[in-house]
Amino acid sequence: MSFVITCPICGPRCGYEFRFGNEERGQAPDQNGLTPDVYHDYIHLHEAVAGPQKEWWCHKDGCGTWFTIWRDTVTMRQAEDPEVQ
Amino acid sequence: MSKHSHRLWAEGPFKSRYDAVLIGGGIHGLATAYFLAKNYGMTDVAVIERRYIGFGGSGRNTAIVRANQRTQENVRLYDEGLKLWPQLIRELDFNMMPFNCGNLNLAHSEAAMGGLRLYVSTAKFCGVESMLLDKKQCKEVVPQLNISEDITYPVFGGMYHPPGGILRHDAVTWGLAKGASKHGVHIHQKTEVTGINIENGTVNGVETNRGPIRTPRVLICAGGYSVLLAAKLGLKLPIHVLTIQAMVSQPLKPVLDHVMASATYHVYANQTLKGEIVTGAHMDPWPNYTNNTTAHYFKHQAEALTELLPFLKGVKFMRHWAGLADMTPDMAPIMEGNEPYEGLYLDCGWGYFGFKSGPIAGKYMAEYMAKAACPDILKPFTLHRFKNFRSMGETAGPITYGPWN
Repeated sequence: MSFVITCPICGPRCGYEFRFGNEERGQAPDQNGLTPDVYHDYIHLHEAVAGPQKEWWCHKDGCGTWFTIWRDTVTMRQAEDPEVQ
Repeated sequence: MSKHSHRLWAEGPFKSRYDAVLIGGGIHGLATAYFLAKNYGMTDVAVIERRYIGFGGSGRNTAIVRANQRTQENVRLYDEGLKLWPQLIRELDFNMMPFNCGNLNLAHSEAAMGGLRLYVSTAKFCGVESMLLDKKQCKEVVPQLNISEDITYPVFGGMYHPPGGILRHDAVTWGLAKGASKHGVHIHQKTEVTGINIENGTVNGVETNRGPIRTPRVLICAGGYSVLLAAKLGLKLPIHVLTIQAMVSQPLKPVLDHVMASATYHVYANQTLKGEIVTGAHMDPWPNYTNNTTAHYFKHQAEALTELLPFLKGVKFMRHWAGLADMTPDMAPIMEGNEPYEGLYLDCGWGYFGFKSGPIAGKYMAEYMAKAACPDILKPFTLHRFKNFRSMGETAGPITYGPWN
């Protein structure tokens, strides 16, 4: 089965049209008083969730939009946003 | 079961206490167990495997071995690894079907040729045989190679690395299991580690679906699943787990007697001793824990292969599979011990280098665990290199140099 991602502008498209950004990590750490440890954690460490995670994608072969989706890393399917009930 | 048949290894009783528990029944875990028992007399060791031995990367790789990496630290380790195979085959008395056919890496731009010059220089510095070839010499090595100008990325030249080759990966897994078992190691299949217990900053056991085990030493060597085990301890690693796909053609007469790779086409191919063309290299660049294969890649592979090796037109693929590759930011592995907990060892982040490194990594991880001191050759692979922003230069190579730069 193919992997489909829903672009907010172009709708459902083949996963290979998209570029994976990274898992959603929140705001970048504040530059004021930034320590090497905090910076290391921010750029290098991943949650590497087995299950649904919120993540960034870019529709590189389409409209070029960056957006977030929820995706289950165990089934390779786009998942429902758990906050939208 | 007929009375003549016997298993290569014995499972052994499930005990509640071991000197060491190795999580992951792949080549790395089995090799570490074998060397712990053989070199250091630590025979009270259990290898815990969630599925069956060789289920993961150990049975899904394309079985290529080589020592033509970019940095000295890596080349030294992989070079020792290459020299260990014949010794291991003798010791284990098990035919791992080695084929010392050599590797040819192609360059498709002047920038990539420059990249290969760096690789050859590193190899020479480390006393490893590797040489730069122009495109006519590439054609002499692989006569079927298409060096015409009318393909998407015409060949400029290549790097030939004679010490490399292929083995049979299942035989490596089985041989190591046989050797470890003979020295008294217990191999527990269908056993899942559900937790790792820490007391006062020291490892004191693991929880499994078959009950708890007390142990002072735990090695996480579960390939792509290592990050999930580390997560059970709240430990985050600089690893992305991606799927990498491979496939195998119908058997042909002997026709391709080298491993041929092209970073630009994202393809490598070699012929096994059974005659099949094994080919792979595509990585789906988004983290996931599936073994999914895709038609997208099947098409890509056929296009790339038939441009470089036109004789493959019309040949049928028989099987297509995928496995997990645990990628670190600098494409070099993580081998760490007693960090952040006493008795916890890591051997992960191998990406797609896990097969070629299996026995040599096992040998040195066994030394690390037995002596509780890091062997010199493993020191560059510490987890701390990321914290110190001292990543290895392994990514500074032709993989990133294509005709587009």
